[in-house]
Amino acid sequence: MQLRLTINDQRHELEVEPHRPLADVIRTDAALTGTKVACGEGTCGSCTVLVDGRAVLSCLTLAVACDGADVRTVEGEDELLGRLQAAFTAEDAFQCGFCTPGQLLSAVALLRANPRPSSAEIRAGMSGNLCRCGAYPAIERAVARAAGEAR
Amino acid sequence: MARLVKTQVEMEGRYEERWTLVEEDVTPEYADGEELAVVGHPHTRVSAAARVTGGARFISDIDLPGMVHAAVLRSPHANARVASLDRAAAAALPGVRAVIGPGDVPERDGRPVLTDAPAYAGGAVAAVAADTPDQAERALEALAPGWEPLAFVVDLDEGLARQEFTEDPEETSRGDVDAALAGAAAVIEAEYRTPTQIQTPLEPHCAVAAWDAGGLTVWSSTQGIFAARDELARAFGLEPDDVRVVCEYMGGGFGGKQGCGPEGYMAAELARRAGRPVRLVYTRRDEHTTAGYRAPTVQTYRIGADADGKLVGVEGSAVIGVGVHGWVFPVLNPAEALYECAHVRSMVLPVKLNLGFSNAFRAPGVMEGTFGFEQALDELAEELGIDPLEIRLRNPAAIEQASGKPYTSKHLEACQRRVAELAGWKERDALRSDGRVRRGMGLASQIWWGGGGPPAHATVRLGKTARPTLVCGFQDIGTGTMTASAVVVAEALGVPVGHVRVQAGDTARSGYGPTSGGSMTLASVAPAVRTAAHDVRTQLLDLAADMFEIAASDLVLADGHVSSRDGTLRHEITEITSKLGNSSLVGHGSRGPNPDGMRVNTFGCQAAQIAVDTLTGAVTVEKVWAVHDVGRIVNPMGAMSQVTGGVLQAVGFALSEERVVDPTTGTVVNAGLEDYKVPTIADTPEIVCEFVDSPDPHLALGIKGLGEPPIIPTAAAIGNAFAHATGVRVRQAPFTPRRVLEALAG
Repeated sequence: MQLRLTINDQRHELEVEPHRPLADVIRTDAALTGTKVACGEGTCGSCTVLVDGRAVLSCLTLAVACDGADVRTVEGEDELLGRLQAAFTAEDAFQCGFCTPGQLLSAVALLRANPRPSSAEIRAGMSGNLCRCGAYPAIERAVARAAGEAR
Repeated sequence: MARLVKTQVEMEGRYEERWTLVEEDVTPEYADGEELAVVGHPHTRVSAAARVTGGARFISDIDLPGMVHAAVLRSPHANARVASLDRAAAAALPGVRAVIGPGDVPERDGRPVLTDAPAYAGGAVAAVAADTPDQAERALEALAPGWEPLAFVVDLDEGLARQEFTEDPEETSRGDVDAALAGAAAVIEAEYRTPTQIQTPLEPHCAVAAWDAGGLTVWSSTQGIFAARDELARAFGLEPDDVRVVCEYMGGGFGGKQGCGPEGYMAAELARRAGRPVRLVYTRRDEHTTAGYRAPTVQTYRIGADADGKLVGVEGSAVIGVGVHGWVFPVLNPAEALYECAHVRSMVLPVKLNLGFSNAFRAPGVMEGTFGFEQALDELAEELGIDPLEIRLRNPAAIEQASGKPYTSKHLEACQRRVAELAGWKERDALRSDGRVRRGMGLASQIWWGGGGPPAHATVRLGKTARPTLVCGFQDIGTGTMTASAVVVAEALGVPVGHVRVQAGDTARSGYGPTSGGSMTLASVAPAVRTAAHDVRTQLLDLAADMFEIAASDLVLADGHVSSRDGTLRHEITEITSKLGNSSLVGHGSRGPNPDGMRVNTFGCQAAQIAVDTLTGAVTVEKVWAVHDVGRIVNPMGAMSQVTGGVLQAVGFALSEERVVDPTTGTVVNAGLEDYKVPTIADTPEIVCEFVDSPDPHLALGIKGLGEPPIIPTAAAIGNAFAHATGVRVRQAPFTPRRVLEALAG
């Protein structure tokens, strides 16, 4: 099927089989491998991207269901994403870094919806993103730091 | 002049005498009391920019021209024979490039990688490579295997009753335990059970293999590039340097990715036959069924003490559910080594089961053994009416108990006292109440190895722009070795950490570096890095001395400048290096052996405060205090992250993680992250962390390892806190609501 996607402000016209997940199309057809697939069944949050501003699990989202959508990944340029990337670095909010792209995109969605989240709100908002290295305390600090540095 | 010496090397508590090449360069130590500008100060990761922007290419991201995709046929039965396999049908499908089955792949550790007698659900039978993942999946279906299911055993108690072992049960003893316990003032007996815990790296096991005229290249999500290289060279009959293993970024290992896994063998064989690069990525289900785990245990203890709480006898046995095969890890080491005791007997029974192989998971054996022993010790303290902290302080081991050898350094009692102070141990009874939610505090201690050792080699180059490059043979699996190594280079050369380029994770461009395991990476690598950087420093100062007509010994390097000690001369380092043109200053370093006749161990103590909801059975870990003795801390920021990660994986072990196997089918029923519960950010306690930052006087640079230690005592501390909160013990992890409510109901 014909698929039109805008990924990080770049327009893509793709021919895609209807069963393929968005994560696969982003990683393979658009060659943006920052988006990770860790479980492939919507249980870990590693593949989180923004579709029309909403955080979605791209491994469970059919690419063809996103026709005409605006997709943002970790490779995108964005003031809030940049602030979060700096905060994750400053707080050491990752170890291996495999879950980090998904964590960052979930954090973008969280702070867009709630620019000044409480600790409990950060923990609730980020609880769909697993980090097996266990960087959670630093992730919480990083999200709070990025929120506090909002202009 | 280099020479070969025989020295003792240690990995996860296994000692072996090995020939080691010792080079003349003795590690230039930091002087006592020397003010270090970089080492010991917090630094963010040198790889941070790549990891937060998606620029870091992990193994499962590797995409080569012409690369095709692998899929693996796995047995759905707990034990079976493959009666038929239609390879021709699979090979005839569009896009299929190679089909391999039983006998087609070189053996791994003397065992078949693909077999027609898979002895567990998930055992690999055949593999295919095709142009697209979809085509590979269709080829698997076309193989249409005919299965002959066989009888199986997956239950640990049943396996023990059948006396089927992966290796002979082993008893070790010192002194006369029975006589000692007969004369004890108090003796407790207790049985503890621990679960199968899955490492759960978020990047599954994966490999990309490609052959060319020069040999084989494998990009492997591995904890040991050189171990993987040597395995592949042996398996495929190649010279070690005809195999190149690359692992620049990988998504976590936690012990479960040692050397080259079966995925690397299968990818290499498929690539050889397909004549194209092949990528093979395990599914999440594979991670839970065929990629290894922390083996489940049943531990029984008999521990006795005199009226003062001095241990007189310790007897322990551990039944370990090894699976089809696996290393037998030292579950009873904490019982044997944590405290002084003359009379000790231990028995290990490694039970064979129709489940995938077990392997290392962060502090293998020792973490689950500590869960049992450190709770049993609390039971003994209670029996004697002695405070749990006090009984530990009354039994310090001044020497290593099994060998009788002295420790290179030991600050366990300092850790215990400091944790008690931080946690407010003396006032812990004020936490208790009779309400619906009961609070309590417990503590537990830790012993591990982690001294590192040879061989490890490093090269440092400094060129015209004064931005050094470190080339070293380790792989950074997320533990921060790249950053800590850059810190060591920056200290020696007086340049910012961010100016150090670290090239690691590639066997083709460096000398040997150690596997990331046994908490030995940094302790092995840092002295080699320091020696190499110091070599360059010496050359640089000689050039500066010549140029500025001053003695090299009167010069110092710091903040990107070379200065005279009296402050009269100060020039940017680039004033010297800019004249190098296309030359570089090059320094080499290697790791020497640890002192013979001594034991290197790491120590620590943690306390946990928990809340138990007596209505729902939910347990919440509210706060953990951790103090560890791991020698010199090179990068406190990375070290804190290691502690946090270890504590959280232990919280999962204590409260929620348990692989469940259906006894009627022999298959794993929670083979995914939906039902196998690892901690989330919402389950995270407040974690307070300190180090006894005291360089080990007998080790190069005074560095010991930190990977394993923080996971070891947490679960036992949680168990002891549970008993403090409720007056009841749950002797089986994880503390699920069902187990908690059953225990509370008596």
